[in-house]
Amino acid sequence: MIKKVQKLAREYFQSGKVEIIYGLKKHNNKVVPSVFNKEDELKDLVISAKEPLLNICRPSKKNIIRLIEEKYPEAKIGMVVRGCDERILIELSKRKQIKLDNIELIGVACNKEDAIACNCPKPYPVHLDIGTKVDGVIEDKKNKELLNKKLSERLSFWQYQFSKCIKCYGCRNACPLCFCKDCAMEQQEWTKTGEIPPEIPMFHFIRFYHLADRCIDCGECEAACPVDIPLLTISKQIRNDIKDLFDYESGLDAEQESPLLTSLDEVPMKEGESK
Amino acid sequence: MIEYKNVLTVCPYCGCGCNFYLQVLDGNLVGVLPSKTDITSQGKLCIKGWNASDFVDNKDRLTKPLIKKEGKLVEISWDKALDIIVNKFKEYSPDEIAVLSSAKCTNEENYLMMKFARSILKTNNVDHCARLCHASTVVGLGKTFGSGAMTNSIREFENADCIFIIGSNTTEQHPLISRYVLRAKEKGARLIIADPRRIPLTRFADCHLRQRPGTDVALLNGMMNIILNEKIEDKNFIQNYTENFEELKAIVKKYTPHVVEKITGIPDNLLIKAARMYAEANSASLIYSMGITQHTTGVDNVVSCANLAMLTGNVGRESTGVNPLRGQNNVQGACDMGALPNVYSGYQSVSDENIKTKFEKAWNTELSVTPGLTIVEMLNQAETGNIKAMYIMGENPMLSDPDINHVEKSLKKLEFLVVQDIFLTETAQLADMVLPATSYAEKDGTFTATDRRVQRVRKAIEPIGNSKPDWQIICELAEKMGSDEFKYASPSKIMDEIAMVTPIYQGIDYNRIEDIGLQWPCLSKEHTGTPYLHKDKFSRGKGKFFGIEFKDAVELPDNEFPFVLTTGRTIFHYHTGTMTRRTASLNREVPEGYAEMNHKDAERLNISNGEKIYVSSRRGKIEVDVHVGEIVPEGIIFIPFHFSESPANMLTNPAFDPVAKIPELKVCAVKVEKIKI
Repeated sequence: MIKKVQKLAREYFQSGKVEIIYGLKKHNNKVVPSVFNKEDELKDLVISAKEPLLNICRPSKKNIIRLIEEKYPEAKIGMVVRGCDERILIELSKRKQIKLDNIELIGVACNKEDAIACNCPKPYPVHLDIGTKVDGVIEDKKNKELLNKKLSERLSFWQYQFSKCIKCYGCRNACPLCFCKDCAMEQQEWTKTGEIPPEIPMFHFIRFYHLADRCIDCGECEAACPVDIPLLTISKQIRNDIKDLFDYESGLDAEQESPLLTSLDEVPMKEGESK
Repeated sequence: MIEYKNVLTVCPYCGCGCNFYLQVLDGNLVGVLPSKTDITSQGKLCIKGWNASDFVDNKDRLTKPLIKKEGKLVEISWDKALDIIVNKFKEYSPDEIAVLSSAKCTNEENYLMMKFARSILKTNNVDHCARLCHASTVVGLGKTFGSGAMTNSIREFENADCIFIIGSNTTEQHPLISRYVLRAKEKGARLIIADPRRIPLTRFADCHLRQRPGTDVALLNGMMNIILNEKIEDKNFIQNYTENFEELKAIVKKYTPHVVEKITGIPDNLLIKAARMYAEANSASLIYSMGITQHTTGVDNVVSCANLAMLTGNVGRESTGVNPLRGQNNVQGACDMGALPNVYSGYQSVSDENIKTKFEKAWNTELSVTPGLTIVEMLNQAETGNIKAMYIMGENPMLSDPDINHVEKSLKKLEFLVVQDIFLTETAQLADMVLPATSYAEKDGTFTATDRRVQRVRKAIEPIGNSKPDWQIICELAEKMGSDEFKYASPSKIMDEIAMVTPIYQGIDYNRIEDIGLQWPCLSKEHTGTPYLHKDKFSRGKGKFFGIEFKDAVELPDNEFPFVLTTGRTIFHYHTGTMTRRTASLNREVPEGYAEMNHKDAERLNISNGEKIYVSSRRGKIEVDVHVGEIVPEGIIFIPFHFSESPANMLTNPAFDPVAKIPELKVCAVKVEKIKI
């Protein structure tokens, strides 16, 4: 399958459709995000389900594509995207964090095995070029198990989980959609600074709520947690709630406004624009 | 052409040795990306690791050499700076000059620094901050086991049945190691914590022993007394793998739970519970750190940990062992490289004629068999005028060493002080010459993690300003001193020389550690490294027990100074704060120093949470915010030592262990006063 991806990427180069390709690269047995400037570099282009492509760099709080766009506003960028990457781009675009105008996608479907390993609800992009769609993992077993327990048991389960927290901010740092300039998780007004574990459950729920209409379920938060808190269990539940309450799903359509962005006169606000 | 790279390297903070990528866009550092394939971190980092790129291009970075003129540091060219240093160094005899190497620098740089001291300056006066952290480990585990390093590997903790942590605040000092402690616990392991403070891991402990600071020997003897009394020792192990058991037995006999309760304050039933838990586990890992080592009885404490592990047969197998957690990113490596006054690289004694001859041949020079001075001794001799010049690389004794009023007096007495660092530290401010070095992000080399894993550090960006990597500075100095023995094309060539003269590193070269690090001893190019030590037999042959009597700390509380001060660190900062206090995300968490105090003491002294208090000892007085709570028990004050405005080490006691010369940073007597407005 990678041959097909490389071939399409080569065609994008040849037709002048793109000047660079952004994707994953294999280097010394490790896979990292990379910029490919020339056709002959594409031999190292790989696809992998495990590595993130669009992490937010700190302290700028912008991802590499945004940094490239700012430095090279005219650059035409080709991107090899999985389902999760596409949904991230849609959310970033919706929130004025990235311009999609100069981005050409090469959409790749993940296989069943990867979908299960990632617990991914939708292991393919809408813009699919290569690979075949397989079903995603819809049911969250961990959550189902928890929902069958008594409220008090659920409370103590989560109290225990959050009590392990060492306040690395890894869940936020690894999130491709945590780009806020001023992060409420850091602010003394919301949760006391300089303490571990940080206030339970405030510290974590600031993030969950802030991402309620944004999270696209990529799983990077949970993967970054050094103490194995099952963060996705909660964010998946919140995603479900948003769907039930507002019939809204993040990551589907860059033009669709989030139902949580309303003003008092019920004219939807646009994120990134002051009213 | 847009250049975007992810450069795999090793975190510059603690000894866990987490790998991560430095993200570099068109030559600029833009961020940190965890590595999911890294053996220790598995794609996770602590707050310091996540922010490890932030300080690199801080505006305060030293970018040009500086010379002191009329009390002020002014810029000077590299060439002139090195010429002046060379001329000055030539004025001093080997006994008048001393060198401090750095646990922050690479193995290659530490090797070169000790080679420079020994072969160019002709002195064995070379030491580094390991003196302040694990000098007692090197001595204590050396004499009991034959090797003074962490016995097992970080990942092995996960599969232990019992983990006994004594004097290590693992969550805050080695966050990614605490990950495996928690994973073990979630798999059903028992967790015993011995620490006066209610550290974060105590929340998950089956047993929390809150000993009076400085009574660890009694605590450990007590556990052994119980184990022998209940006959749950590992008789087979004792008989086959150890010696001198009778001596231990005779001593620990006296330490009944009742006696130990009187000394340590730990209820006898709790000690019995802990002793059983540890002894009855199939594989028990003992973890310790500064709470064990930083005492005048540091070696005794370490030996007692070794005694306990041997008594129960918990050495030489996976997920067991005695595991000193090394503090700095490369303090293990700096020791391995022989940045110590009595050994060459690989712990080869300077007093051994054969070893001396070997290094004389390798370096084409003459060497001395007289061991040099340790840090504390160097400073004492600087004060008396015997040491006249010092060359300090990447260390900040003005904040890290005990009794800093004395440190300052000593350093000011020097005729010539050269400090090589990335920032103008409190120590660099006192220097006659300051050389700008590069950070970890701007150079190639290796760091050795606490579990003896030698890993590649990779250059991500060009040096900031006119700074140079430490290895290059040392080579240029050596060349100007007239040596031909410091010509290396790259750090990789330095490692080749290290491997040639250092048996435990013999199998290591850059090609072999390109993908994944190797754990020493690595004895040949075919050897795959050593995940845990002392398999089948101890490094010294048989493990040796020593009977150790309890001795109290040197300075105990009295009427005038009624509190015990114990010092340490927080997860949000690192050591003297030169890097972390220049990192916004870390400073936001903890912007200034504080003293922890028990609420009952606070109530008695009419002190409320958050107010400023004076804390003073026989050596100094500081003003600091008080955090009132239940982390410390009554009678104890805890102060982290990161903060130059409220330096804990103004108060600490420089009294040191007679053998390891490690100062008693964990116990001294202080008084607390309310500030009257």
